[in-house]
Amino acid sequence: MDLELPKDVQEKLAVLRALSEKAENGDKEARKELRRALRESAPEVIFRASDIGRRGQWALIQTVAANDPLTEEALVARLEQMRAKVAGPEPSPPEVLLTERICSLWLLIEVLEMLVSVQLSAALPPEQRSPMSYLQHVFKWQESANRRFLSATRELARVRKLQNNTPAVQFNTQINLETTDGDQRGEEPNR
Amino acid sequence: MGWESRGRGTRRYYTRSRWVDGRVVREYVGSGLLGEIAALEDEYKRRQREEEAAFWKEEKERLEAGAAFLDELAEASEVLLRAQLLASGFHKHKGQWRRQRGP
Repeated sequence: MDLELPKDVQEKLAVLRALSEKAENGDKEARKELRRALRESAPEVIFRASDIGRRGQWALIQTVAANDPLTEEALVARLEQMRAKVAGPEPSPPEVLLTERICSLWLLIEVLEMLVSVQLSAALPPEQRSPMSYLQHVFKWQESANRRFLSATRELARVRKLQNNTPAVQFNTQINLETTDGDQRGEEPNR
Repeated sequence: MGWESRGRGTRRYYTRSRWVDGRVVREYVGSGLLGEIAALEDEYKRRQREEEAAFWKEEKERLEAGAAFLDELAEASEVLLRAQLLASGFHKHKGQWRRQRGP
């Protein structure tokens, strides 16, 4: 299965990357050009990358389900639910891709979780046990997948905050004290 | 592990080497038929270990290849996100995205 972005999409990404760099360095023309390039390229990049994401997820589902149609169906349904919940209504282009990333990483974590639990099961005959070096590799991979999952989730939250342009959540603690003359204590807290 | 000839005699002995308390200890298994059987047994075990190692290496590579699409997805989403934020008037300041001031 070919799970690489097509060459033309990679080229579009390279253009976006180059224009972003220029815009980041203060080039106003590049920023305008970036807006235009984004309008033209974003739909295809999203479509292709999401397609790869979904096909990759399907391959992982087949690995974890091991030809059990019920597990396959359950995972597909769970993934659909998760995708809808994470993306929310009318997701922006970055949200769509971040959602695919989060769902794929969640699935990878599930696959690795399953691999480890099978290997650590007492019922597994010794001849089917994997060597320690293999398990260590899976443990490291699990750690990395967890880190990437958390980082993608944080990224999505950050994007939403920036998009909404809302200030950071602020918690004001109010302590009610008795009011005395000329004292401002007990006033309404800042909102 | 291997065959060894001792002294002036032509007789060959099959030996096995193993680690005991941090040093190599050579064990004389025997000569003739006994040595031949031990050599065949060791050869069989060595091949089995090699085959197992190759199997797990392949298994590891298969899993890694199955998850490689995540890198493509990560790259696309990072490029798109950065471009989208810059195009929407944000800039990066000390690692943080901030809205550009002014018109």
